[in-house]
Amino acid sequence: MTLTPHLASDAAACCWIPLFALRSELARRPELVSLPVALLAPDTAHTPRVWQVAPLARRAGVKPGMTVSQAIGLCPGLKLCEPDPVHYDEQFARLVAALVTVSPVVEPVEVGRVFVGTDGLEGLYGAPEGIVEAIQMRSAECGMRNVLNAECGMRNAECKGKRREANDPSLKFRTPHSEFRIGWGRGKFVAWVAATRAKPGEAVIVPVGGEAKFLASQPLAVLPLDPDTHRRLLQLGVKTLGALVALPEEAVVSQYGHAGRRLWRLAAGLVSEPVVGRVVPEPIVAALTFFSSVGERDLLAHALDKLVDRALGDPRRSGWRVQVVRVHAELEHGASWLVEATLKDPSATRERIAAPLKTQLERSPPAGAVERLVVEFTAFAPGTAELQLFARDAGAAARAGRRRALQSAVREIALRIRRPMLYHIIEVQPWSRLPERRYALIDFET
Amino acid sequence: MRNGTDRLRALNVPQRVQVELDEQRRPRVVKREAGNEKRVESFGENWRMDDEWWRQPIVRRYVEVVLEGGGRVVLFEDLITGEWFVQMPT
Repeated sequence: MTLTPHLASDAAACCWIPLFALRSELARRPELVSLPVALLAPDTAHTPRVWQVAPLARRAGVKPGMTVSQAIGLCPGLKLCEPDPVHYDEQFARLVAALVTVSPVVEPVEVGRVFVGTDGLEGLYGAPEGIVEAIQMRSAECGMRNVLNAECGMRNAECKGKRREANDPSLKFRTPHSEFRIGWGRGKFVAWVAATRAKPGEAVIVPVGGEAKFLASQPLAVLPLDPDTHRRLLQLGVKTLGALVALPEEAVVSQYGHAGRRLWRLAAGLVSEPVVGRVVPEPIVAALTFFSSVGERDLLAHALDKLVDRALGDPRRSGWRVQVVRVHAELEHGASWLVEATLKDPSATRERIAAPLKTQLERSPPAGAVERLVVEFTAFAPGTAELQLFARDAGAAARAGRRRALQSAVREIALRIRRPMLYHIIEVQPWSRLPERRYALIDFET
Repeated sequence: MRNGTDRLRALNVPQRVQVELDEQRRPRVVKREAGNEKRVESFGENWRMDDEWWRQPIVRRYVEVVLEGGGRVVLFEDLITGEWFVQMPT
């Protein structure tokens, strides 16, 4: 793990797995694969809304943002899943950790979408085709095959299509049976648009200098537009980026101001936003010197918890998950004790980090009483925006924890009494003058 | 898996009751079932609601009451069928 002062790269590969959270859920619960499934949004506990929708449910008319009652009205067989953002984040962290082995410049944007800076990788992998292949290989090796191959209720016909040669300046590659899409180009915008054009398991490469030509045929929707601007441009007959660029830049600026200039330049391929990686934190250390030497394992385990907590609270750790943790103890008479654990799934929670250390404490305890205990996080894996949210927002972390505890309790109850006894209260027609139409109960399903 | 119609259960569904009225046509006694009847101790607000006149009209006369024992409920008379129902106050 290196410490680099400027982790930025103009050449970008955008790795995108659409419906990542839903795929993670289906990989964990394969019995749902053939059903119309929708995931509820994580932040709408009072008025649950649909977040991600499997194609079978989408065919029935279910769309993200709908209320549960609307969704069930359209698709009576809809299977609704409670979201588990911590699980999705963990899965995504594994993918990101695998990508860090290709390039140190990695910028996760949201769960399922991450940019990899590829400047300087030509020496290792050759042309962009080689870099893309390396990314595909590493992502396939990260143990997420189930997630990448989760079918979401139907095998996309695109997946069965033959490899198509590109007619435009871009080239396409294919990894069969994967939902992983890659776009490569100069700057994040071009790479992202290329990724959205790639078919499942394929990559679209936009050669340097070919950005304007590639972008010209893309629909307006690829631009980061607010709905009003999008509508106004469509009313003006501007349907592609090429049509937007055909307008004089100053005319677009006079209509849409500063934002218009940015949109015009993005559409023309003149903006190249670099991928910005984050500097990996130096090891984070938390130490405790005991007043008197401690030999009891319970006390040592308790001290371990406290030290892991303290190290997790270090502001440098924010946005990073711990991958390698080391504990060393100074013992009486100058002896020492050392254990190290590499977490298969990098984590930012105390229990997960401390668990392997406590196991080792039980299996091979220190040979004498401990005078000083030191916990050190030595390697980190990048997190996502959600991870940063969890790390910084104690409320969000607590909500996620409560949700997990509730799901576990529900599973236990369902196992014991074999029928659903817990329900969600959902709003049906909260505006109705008839009280019985305002709210309803729906099975709480984990 | 059950279908969508059994999965949603409406909350606060009105329960049909028998009601004895006083001379002012206000509920005096509420009978949920045989042997389970309660006197009305006091009256709160009353109001009328006309809704859904464009399809199956709903016309109700509501009255909020406190039953003997202290239970506060809302009674309504379906002015189309003449039936009485009890519902929890919202």
